[in-house]
Amino acid sequence: MRAVCSLSLVLMILVILPTVNLAFGAEVGEYLDRRVEIWNLFFRMMVVAFTIGAVVSGTMIWLVIRFRESNPKATPTKYEGTGELDRYE
Amino acid sequence: MKAPENWIDMSEHSHWPEWVYIGVVVALLVYVGAEAWNIERIVEHIPEDAELITVTAQQWFWSFEHEDGTKEIGELHLKQGVPYKFEITSKDVIHSFNIPDYLVLMDAVPGRINTIWFVPVDAGEYEMQCREYCGLLHYNMRAKLYVEKA
Repeated sequence: MRAVCSLSLVLMILVILPTVNLAFGAEVGEYLDRRVEIWNLFFRMMVVAFTIGAVVSGTMIWLVIRFRESNPKATPTKYEGTGELDRYE
Repeated sequence: MKAPENWIDMSEHSHWPEWVYIGVVVALLVYVGAEAWNIERIVEHIPEDAELITVTAQQWFWSFEHEDGTKEIGELHLKQGVPYKFEITSKDVIHSFNIPDYLVLMDAVPGRINTIWFVPVDAGEYEMQCREYCGLLHYNMRAKLYVEKA
């Protein structure tokens, strides 16, 4: 549920709000303000950059915690700690 | 050396989290490219009723010519709320025309006319400057933009 909410929030910021703005924002006789467009693009790109950063670093942190040797759920191979693998390095 | 027969076979494990991971990252990168392209297309669309200003750069000052032939050197007077299209060129080396407060930035290249447009939304005084190192007095290649109330 939380994942769905987070995904919805990201999608809303990236897709839905700009589309609604594009559809209803501009009126006849008004000109586009390049400062608004360019800074909005910048902030949307920052959302993407931080999302990718969170996904990548979050996955790495999860990997390190989940697959540490001291994790009670760890299922080590029969070779770990025996030195047997050293021959194949 | 050949691996032992009881070597753990990793080909049986589930691949779906990896594909979700790759999918999310690729989708975001595609979005970045598409959105940047779209905004660039929108911003570069020049309104038909935009007034033409010819901008000429040379070491180390800016000169401007309005549609009606009025010329200005080192300063430019525009009207609030009117769209302006700048045709920018250079007489000597490469310069770059910049109005920081309005995010206007375009190279001035000898033998070439580059265009950019904007609407001065707020009345007031603004700085214009050269953003490409163009020689000894580059630092002082500035001009004043005066936006007059409509």
